[in-house]
Amino acid sequence: MTDKKTDLIQGTLDLLILKTVAHEPIHGYGIAQRILLTSKDILQVQQGSLYPALHRLQRKGLLTSEWRESGSGPMAKYYSLTAAGRKSLQEEKAQWQRYAGAVALVLES
Amino acid sequence: MRFPWNRMETELNSEVAHHLHELTAEFERRGYSHQDAVRMAKREFGGAEQVKERCRDERRWAWLSGLRQDFAFALRQMRRSPGFALTAVLTLALGIAANVIVFGVLQAMVLQPIDVPHADRVMTLSLSTSAFPLIAWPEVRDVRDGNTLLSAVAAYSFENVGMEASGVARPVWGYEVSGQYFEVVAIQPFLGRLLGRVDDDRQGASEAAVLSWPAWKNDFGADPDIVGKTVRVNKHPYTIVGVTPQGFYGTEKISQPAIFLSLANEASLGGGHWLEQRTDKTVFSIVRIKDGVTLPQARAELDAIAARIRRQYPAEEETLGFKLARPGLLGDTLGGPARAFLAGVMFLAGIVLLAACANLGSLFAARTADRAREIAIRLAIGSSRWRILRQVLVEALVISILGGACACGLSWMALTGLANWHPPTEYPIKFSVLPQPSLILVALLIAVLAGVVFGVMPLRQIFKTDPNDAIKSGGSQSFAGRRWALRDCLLAAQIALCCITVTAAFVSLRGLGKALTMDLGFQPRNAVVTKFDLSPAGYSSEAAGQFQRRLLERVSQLPGVKAAGYANTTPLKGDLSSARVFSQQTTDFRPSNKAFTAYFFDVSPGYFAAAGTSLLAGRDVSFTDTAKTPAVALVNREFARRLFHSGDAVGRYFKNPSGLTIQIVGMVADGKYLSITEDQQPAAFYPISRDASTLTALVVRPRGDTADMAATIRKVVRDLDSSVPIRESSDWDSQLRLSFFPTQVATVALSLFGAFGLLLSIAGTFGLASYTVSKRLRELSIRVALGAQAKQILSAALGRMLILLGTGSAAGMVLGAAASRLLSAIVYQAGARDPLVLAAVAFTMVLTGSLSVAGPVRRALHLDPARLLREQ
Repeated sequence: MTDKKTDLIQGTLDLLILKTVAHEPIHGYGIAQRILLTSKDILQVQQGSLYPALHRLQRKGLLTSEWRESGSGPMAKYYSLTAAGRKSLQEEKAQWQRYAGAVALVLES
Repeated sequence: MRFPWNRMETELNSEVAHHLHELTAEFERRGYSHQDAVRMAKREFGGAEQVKERCRDERRWAWLSGLRQDFAFALRQMRRSPGFALTAVLTLALGIAANVIVFGVLQAMVLQPIDVPHADRVMTLSLSTSAFPLIAWPEVRDVRDGNTLLSAVAAYSFENVGMEASGVARPVWGYEVSGQYFEVVAIQPFLGRLLGRVDDDRQGASEAAVLSWPAWKNDFGADPDIVGKTVRVNKHPYTIVGVTPQGFYGTEKISQPAIFLSLANEASLGGGHWLEQRTDKTVFSIVRIKDGVTLPQARAELDAIAARIRRQYPAEEETLGFKLARPGLLGDTLGGPARAFLAGVMFLAGIVLLAACANLGSLFAARTADRAREIAIRLAIGSSRWRILRQVLVEALVISILGGACACGLSWMALTGLANWHPPTEYPIKFSVLPQPSLILVALLIAVLAGVVFGVMPLRQIFKTDPNDAIKSGGSQSFAGRRWALRDCLLAAQIALCCITVTAAFVSLRGLGKALTMDLGFQPRNAVVTKFDLSPAGYSSEAAGQFQRRLLERVSQLPGVKAAGYANTTPLKGDLSSARVFSQQTTDFRPSNKAFTAYFFDVSPGYFAAAGTSLLAGRDVSFTDTAKTPAVALVNREFARRLFHSGDAVGRYFKNPSGLTIQIVGMVADGKYLSITEDQQPAAFYPISRDASTLTALVVRPRGDTADMAATIRKVVRDLDSSVPIRESSDWDSQLRLSFFPTQVATVALSLFGAFGLLLSIAGTFGLASYTVSKRLRELSIRVALGAQAKQILSAALGRMLILLGTGSAAGMVLGAAASRLLSAIVYQAGARDPLVLAAVAFTMVLTGSLSVAGPVRRALHLDPARLLREQ
């Protein structure tokens, strides 16, 4: 489970979290799992970064949270996007695409 | 009540728990046993506490909840090491309280103007030729009538009078004021009217009296119908016409008057006819300058008036000149010494505060160094530096606030105590001192600053080091090494500062000792002095002389009386007369031709024997020396030295200001006449039989105990004439208390600071010594195990302490010697170069130094190396 991990580029974690949360309310463990899954086991999010990031995004008002029964036992904290979060996701996504495209241009020249 | 941070903390824990739960479930799905899955989940998750801490940092309430934790932690830490907390709080409390108290007194006595409207326009008018602001009433009148720039000019004098209220006579301060006094102070009456110009237009014009608010309140039960009632002052009835407003305490800060009478009544009150004499400088004068007039303008006009008076009265007013000074402290007479003394004490108080800060600094430095390991661990497990800094700051703050609070309480008690305190004198002296809230705030601020600065400074060192090293070495090596640390310098500085206060204390104690045992020129111990004035009982000066002789005969025949005599007054009572002395060759008796000015007393035969003044040469005065026989006098040694430049005066002559030639028939020992700190003054003694005085001071020296003598003499006087009002009849010692009062106050104050200083240095030395020993216990026990001798252990453990103590004390003594010059204004013969003082200071410093390192030394010597090395 820890074999082929790639460390996240600084600053991309927030974007990945926003994107992951955008689908449906989801708890911290689920976020990490989903990122791992959709990146085909490449992007492993460290718990040490994930939770502080969640708290930071919540403080900024991009995320909101509620406590719910999780499928498997104890109560879990489910995060979902706020309107501001949705807007921020759009901006960050556009910025990232611009950035990634630019990097690709340079690499392929 | 639930705090947001409590909820957040629970949520954080649940969130982490949920994550772990999911991870465990994942591992179980992969076929691990439950135990293995839990263990692997934990490993996978990593440092849960680190994650939580970083989440806390991200939270909205982070700073507030952190602060609360820090406060709780600081209090817990203080409970865990009460010694440190107590020392730090006490140190601060002492340092701050000393400053608040001294500055409070300084403010009340010196800085604050007297409490009247537009106090900056009110000035004391006095003579430029004399330091004491007494002036003659005709001179005041000339200024009053001849000026254009002053809105009011008044004279006043204050006297201790007996005021009868509800049938009991009580000694109070009575102000005798001239007609414009209340115009100068510009206050409105609380009841009735104040004394005005009509009360003053001729001698004996008014029997009106004005009560002060405190007297009306306390002595007359705040009677709203007081106006029109009668009050008896010195047995003489006066009509109360009004009450001054609350908050008006007269124009002298230390003597708060109970009653105001008209100066025109002096004849009936004091029996004096001095008011019209230009040479009798007997009243104080206070003036109000018109709005818009500058001080130089007023001075210029006064100079012109003085010139006019000089031309008009060339004989009496040859040197006349006026000056203006701030009112409140007998003009500004007490202002100089009071300012100098208070500045000195303020300096010491500042030193105490500095020493307290240094002490606090070394305490905090040692403490932070002690916690190097703990801090390193916290850094290692993910605490942010800001978080650690904040915690140290909070701890310093808590201690500073506690110390400040204690100081507030202490100074409040001291200052209100002082305000309610009546010094043990026959005069009702009163201090109007109140604690200033702003002052306490400033002191608190200083303390907080000191605590914070010194608390944070040592942190730099810790932040620079690698947490791993600090943890491994137990935080000791890198901080208690061979280098001179900040706290060492602080300790040396602190000891030096404390040594200054101790030196000052010893200098003043020595001064007081000298003052109490010094040669006054008479022996107040074991003598009884009885004072009365015969003029209120209706005696003429001639009849008074006869009464006094009859009294002396009666008293001399009393059993147990060794010697008795009388005079017009006794030394150190402040009511001396002085006059110019001319050499025998002088023919022009203008003041500038005088040889010097001397104090004059009128004494009876036997006075010197009764007073204990030794007759050095010649004869005593005799009742056969009268106005009809050639004029004679006795002089003191200083008089002879100044006039003849030799000790041989008997049989020689001098002249008085009216040109009369007086033969010196005897010489007596030098003494103190006006104050105990005065330089040696010349004095002369006339036979009282030459010109009898109604003022009588009878000195009786009994053979044994003085206990009943005072009462016996009262009875004798009353038997002779029951209408004679006896002012006092008591031990001479107790009557002189006022003279020793400033020295005693100074000594108490300085000793207090000395004690503060000693306490601080003990706290500092003990703290650092025990810290040094405990830091190096491991090293020391290895030394013991390897066979080191006690001496070697001591020098290893405390050698540096001794160097610090030595240098600190030496520097402090040098500085203290320099500082003691400030004390010479108040303390009799203050001198730090006195070998006794130096020895006492050195001894005290060594003693306290040894006392404070004794505990740590014992600990170092009784090391059990085996046990200690096992424990570590």
